[in-house]
Amino acid sequence: MIGLLKLCGFEAHEIESELPRVEKVFSRLEITTEDIEIAKQRLTKYYDVELLGVRKALRLCVRELLKLVLAREEGKTKIIYAFMASSFVPIQSALASKSKQVHAAQPTELFQLILGCIFDKMVPVMEAAEGKWLRAGAIAHCANVKTIAEIIASDRVPKPDLLVTCGYLCETAPKTVELLHELYDVPSACFDTCYDREEMEHPVVTKRIIDLAAKNLRKTAERAQEVVGFEFTDDLLWDVLHARYRLADAIRKLHVLIEESDPIPISIGHETIWRCLGGIPFSIDDIPDAIDAMDTLGEELQERVNKGFGVVAKGAPRVLTFCPPDYTDPRPSHLATEVGIALLAKAFDLPVPDAGRPPDSGTKIKDPYEEIAFKRQCQFVSQNSQMRIASIIEGCKRLNVDGMLDRYHVGCRNIGDSMIIKEALTKELGIPVLMLEWEDFDPRVYNHEQYKRRLELFKTMLTSKR
Amino acid sequence: MQEEHLVIHLRDRPAALREAKKSGVKIIGYFPGNYVPEELIYASGAMPICLVDGGDPAPVDTSLSAMPNFFCQFARAQVGERLLKRNPYYDMLDMLVAPITCQHLKKVAEMWEYFGDIEIFKLGVPHQYYGDLELEYYTDRLKALKDRLQAFTGNEITSEKLSKAIDLYNKMRELLKKISLLRSETYLPLSALDFIKLNHASFYADPAFMVDVLDSTYSKLKEKTKVARADTPRLLLLGPNIAYGDYKVLELVQEAGGDIVIEELCEGVRYYWQSIENKDNPLKSLAKGYLKDRVPCAFMRYSAEKRLDFALKLIKDFNVSGVIWYELLGCETYDSESYFFARKMEERNIPMLILESDYGMADIGQVKTRIEAFVELVKGGIE
Repeated sequence: MIGLLKLCGFEAHEIESELPRVEKVFSRLEITTEDIEIAKQRLTKYYDVELLGVRKALRLCVRELLKLVLAREEGKTKIIYAFMASSFVPIQSALASKSKQVHAAQPTELFQLILGCIFDKMVPVMEAAEGKWLRAGAIAHCANVKTIAEIIASDRVPKPDLLVTCGYLCETAPKTVELLHELYDVPSACFDTCYDREEMEHPVVTKRIIDLAAKNLRKTAERAQEVVGFEFTDDLLWDVLHARYRLADAIRKLHVLIEESDPIPISIGHETIWRCLGGIPFSIDDIPDAIDAMDTLGEELQERVNKGFGVVAKGAPRVLTFCPPDYTDPRPSHLATEVGIALLAKAFDLPVPDAGRPPDSGTKIKDPYEEIAFKRQCQFVSQNSQMRIASIIEGCKRLNVDGMLDRYHVGCRNIGDSMIIKEALTKELGIPVLMLEWEDFDPRVYNHEQYKRRLELFKTMLTSKR
Repeated sequence: MQEEHLVIHLRDRPAALREAKKSGVKIIGYFPGNYVPEELIYASGAMPICLVDGGDPAPVDTSLSAMPNFFCQFARAQVGERLLKRNPYYDMLDMLVAPITCQHLKKVAEMWEYFGDIEIFKLGVPHQYYGDLELEYYTDRLKALKDRLQAFTGNEITSEKLSKAIDLYNKMRELLKKISLLRSETYLPLSALDFIKLNHASFYADPAFMVDVLDSTYSKLKEKTKVARADTPRLLLLGPNIAYGDYKVLELVQEAGGDIVIEELCEGVRYYWQSIENKDNPLKSLAKGYLKDRVPCAFMRYSAEKRLDFALKLIKDFNVSGVIWYELLGCETYDSESYFFARKMEERNIPMLILESDYGMADIGQVKTRIEAFVELVKGGIE
């Protein structure tokens, strides 16, 4: 246990004081001594835990898991969860900033990183969810919703006072939350907008869509404020947003560093850690710790770059991935690195050409909810297939990639663009695209031999195409 | 059994539409789900055609070149028909109105956009159907659709034209409802298969002609000899979609000796339970009728309870003794809800069979056996 906590960045004095909490949480999550050994092996094999920045980030994530599982018994009177609702995270941060009685979390991301990537214990979660309404098989239920359904239904985390989700990307998240409400009495809320932007309206973000999203988000924030029993001001939300932008900037710098380096200084699989960190609804006072972790990592990676150190050979084929490379399992991106492919970036992070222009050009956004809605609508995933293709083509050119790994997530209808993306990339750029059907959140899909063979062949194609 | 003049009308309909096209009439397609008010299209002088074909594995297989197999069969069929270019209705369109309902049909609209060469209007359908903000949004989008249709057809949509169109479609809905309600009696004047085929015909036929057909059908059915079928289980069909041509389950239930006496389906059949209020502001009436007043589909937020209440009312009103839940492979929201419905039916001792299938024939033996066993089970309950 102590060895594991050290690998996760805990200092000796802290380990002593935190040990009882850790033991309690591990026991509740059925983490055994054997699991701890597995976790230590996985941490040292798949993650650069020798980097202080990685350890600092892991420590913050583990601490959040402890706070989450023990929230009720440690005196939190109100618990607010968000699921598939990144736009709600600043609102959670505002709630947590205003009162220490509130615990705010995105539980699935913590579980996916810690229980999934580190402990390799997501399979029982999947199987239990499949025993309920999210059955396995060709129906292709998303394993992300399986996670939230199971950890709440089975009390792995405390029942929340409000579970918030969003319908921007799918109906399956709102439907799951609705059923948690109907079957397990979990109070819930959902915010939405309408994705009816027409081709001629792209790339400028459509005002009516932002307006609906902003009003809907404010309504959901009001519901959350009713639940916690206090209000927060728009000014506080702005402060939170600005603090969170600084964290987002620190994370973005890591991406830029990786994208611009040859060889890449760290495996993109680490992105799971900073994605999890970036998604934690920290109170405004706690955000600087997260920024510090990312800044530390940035400095360490810059040092690696300066020394010419890389996790793949210099000149390794440069590849863009479609979805984030790992969610619950570090093996896929680790294998790509082992094979000698430099996974540089994911399409989800690519800027959309011209999408940053506000609908009322020149007008500064004054409403923080509108700001959140606007930023969200500028993102890659908020675009239609045509714009995604344009964004990927531009991204491939800018990053000078040799190919694309289009490992599409079977649980997600929203991103079912893979075939036409491949067609467009082949036609426009003539670069190889490796398409793989995958379930992003379910480690059971990983087949080492098959995946290895495909990656090796892909690498050969990429090299011979040069 | 469809009336002969309807059969002939449908046979000749593509040719008639092509002729109409030559004289400048625009043919405007839209996807089903009952969120696109045909009244607006009709009032613009264009001819609305609901793209509701399914049941054939060929377009579904063809769609695999453009979209992965985890999309529902119906959505894939809409992409496949577009790629195959063999279906006259899909081929003759001048414009498509694509309601942004579930992710499946949203992606189909994007695929059609990607293929190009046809004007597309995306009609935003807010998923919080109960909200005032959302109603306002949807009303605005209908106004935008009206403007687009006017520009596209060159015809003004006056309030008078719209009001007349609402009247016409109200008649169609009312007649379908009257015919459907005949099935609440102990005798069954027409089978579910015949009713659904009649309903499907209303998406392709000329609306005025269809109203006449429904009127005469209703009169004939009302006069039909009333023979009660006491030993035949009366069943409710629930689910997301029955496309034009997707008749496998309906036929198998009939063959197994069961009577589906009423359906609650999201896509594929025309929603006929209520009329559109036709006074003052017709656009607002359309928005309210199409979004707020109807029973919400599963992709809508917090819709399960409301649809369950409606299903329970149907069970009572139509004296139903068993429920068949039929969903297409890949429809994740309805699949989630099937669990919820099954539990609620179990609490009320109402037997429910969940069937998940595709447009292929590979599982027909298995589906047949399960339906036969279910019909026997429900029969046992009746005895």
